[in-house]
Amino acid sequence: MTSRVFGRREVLLPQELRAVTGVVVAALAWEALSRGGVLNPAYFPPTSQILQVLWRDFRGGDLALHTLATLGRLGSAFLLASLPGLGIGILMGLFTAARRALDPYVAFLYPLPKVALLPLLLILLGVGNPAFVVTGSLTAFFQIVVNTMDAVRHVDPLLVEVGRNYGARGIRLFWKVILPAALPGILTGLRLGLGLSLVTVIAVEFAIAKSGLGHLVWRSWQMLATPQMFAAFLVVGGIGILLTRGLKRVQDRLLRWQPTVDVWA
Amino acid sequence: MPRFGRLCMVEPGARRGRREGGILLSLTSVVALLSLWEVAAGTGWIHEAFFPRPTVIGAQFTALVREGILGQHLSVTLGRLLWSFLVSALPGVALGLVLGVWRTAREVVDPLVAFVYPIPSVLFLPLAAIVLGRGEAARVATAAVTSFLLVVINTTAGVRQLDRSLVEAAMHYGARGWRLFTKVLLPGSLPWIFTGLRLALGLTLIVVIAVEMVGAETGLGAWLWLSWQTLRVRDMYAGLLVIALLGMAVTYGLEAVRRRLLPWVQEGESKL
Repeated sequence: MTSRVFGRREVLLPQELRAVTGVVVAALAWEALSRGGVLNPAYFPPTSQILQVLWRDFRGGDLALHTLATLGRLGSAFLLASLPGLGIGILMGLFTAARRALDPYVAFLYPLPKVALLPLLLILLGVGNPAFVVTGSLTAFFQIVVNTMDAVRHVDPLLVEVGRNYGARGIRLFWKVILPAALPGILTGLRLGLGLSLVTVIAVEFAIAKSGLGHLVWRSWQMLATPQMFAAFLVVGGIGILLTRGLKRVQDRLLRWQPTVDVWA
Repeated sequence: MPRFGRLCMVEPGARRGRREGGILLSLTSVVALLSLWEVAAGTGWIHEAFFPRPTVIGAQFTALVREGILGQHLSVTLGRLLWSFLVSALPGVALGLVLGVWRTAREVVDPLVAFVYPIPSVLFLPLAAIVLGRGEAARVATAAVTSFLLVVINTTAGVRQLDRSLVEAAMHYGARGWRLFTKVLLPGSLPWIFTGLRLALGLTLIVVIAVEMVGAETGLGAWLWLSWQTLRVRDMYAGLLVIALLGMAVTYGLEAVRRRLLPWVQEGESKL
């Protein structure tokens, strides 16, 4: 009975193969629609042309350089955000006084779209990579702080009690009980932080930088070089998939003792 | 989501009954920082051109509010935010419910969602401008794309985590089609839908501000950008203050709405 609601149980093809099939079908449909004139080829060039441009620009170095610029900014932003974010998040989770003192700032700045801080940072740091990186970094920082604080605070009190009864105190209690129990939430914070950082870095590049994939999309748009624009889209989408899916996999592997529930797949 | 106000778990019981002391500490912290800022900017420790004194920012903020300028930009931004949210939320929930129960459709759509979802929304602005022309529709659509997918993903997850026996029971009692959707699937997946909506609204705000910065003449993002280009730092701080308040209203307001309307619903953990 329920099979009608939840779908058939038997798997016809392995999941990866089905995903690839879906992408291939979409690509072929795009090609046909563009060549058939249903989509204006000037705005929506056929898949084959986009892939050609992608290959050409990557080997020519232009696209590769923009990709490296974006990845460099993203990496620096994430590194700059993660250690202080983890430290402050853990402090705020463990110590009521730290939380009370810092809560107003986190509550005020966490919901602020960090891209809005770009103009201020441009004035403070000048137009250049430091301002771009710090803007991306602040995005990740507050996400990491909030998730880490939440994870540490909501560790099952029973676990802490058991740890205490077995004589764990201070650093050992933190290291052996609280940190492992909070790890899932902490890793989720890092993952979300990295994803949001990418959004901000791309937006910053789009708005003002003279390099990076965000800039490349903006420039191709201004010159109406649509194949280049879609090629940059493909690269950004690829980076995004690697970040979100890849990190999820790393997280599941690190937390092997946790049951993984992949409801979406 | 920060859940403020709960007691610290590490010292159970030890801090009970000291809430007033806690608020006092938060207040002291804020007052101390603002005073320090005021004095530091007044005496020239920090550059007043970059960090105007809080009182100066406050005065500028009041002046701009009184002239109605900030209110104007705020209402433009709010309009875009609401439209984008509606355009992403309603179809998002509908499609999510369908994908939750229809396996074939889910398998077809999944790779496309997985690919498009991580693309930062700002990049869709050129595409939207090509399709819809350079105007309000393109801005709204740009801010709606990723939020739409967020709602779809979370709603689908919400349906998928439903207790099978619950659905089975409903079907045994004759719930089919529309009734199954509205009486079983929708209420059952509400926690996840709410998580999706909350995340989507937050993301929509980010993208609306970003889009306004790069491609609009009005709205809070455009105001910030203009203040930067003309180096009016005090205007910029006033704009930031409004955006921060808007962000707080969006983040904590939706949670309050949920607690009021659906007090029995605990938010589902996002599967993203």
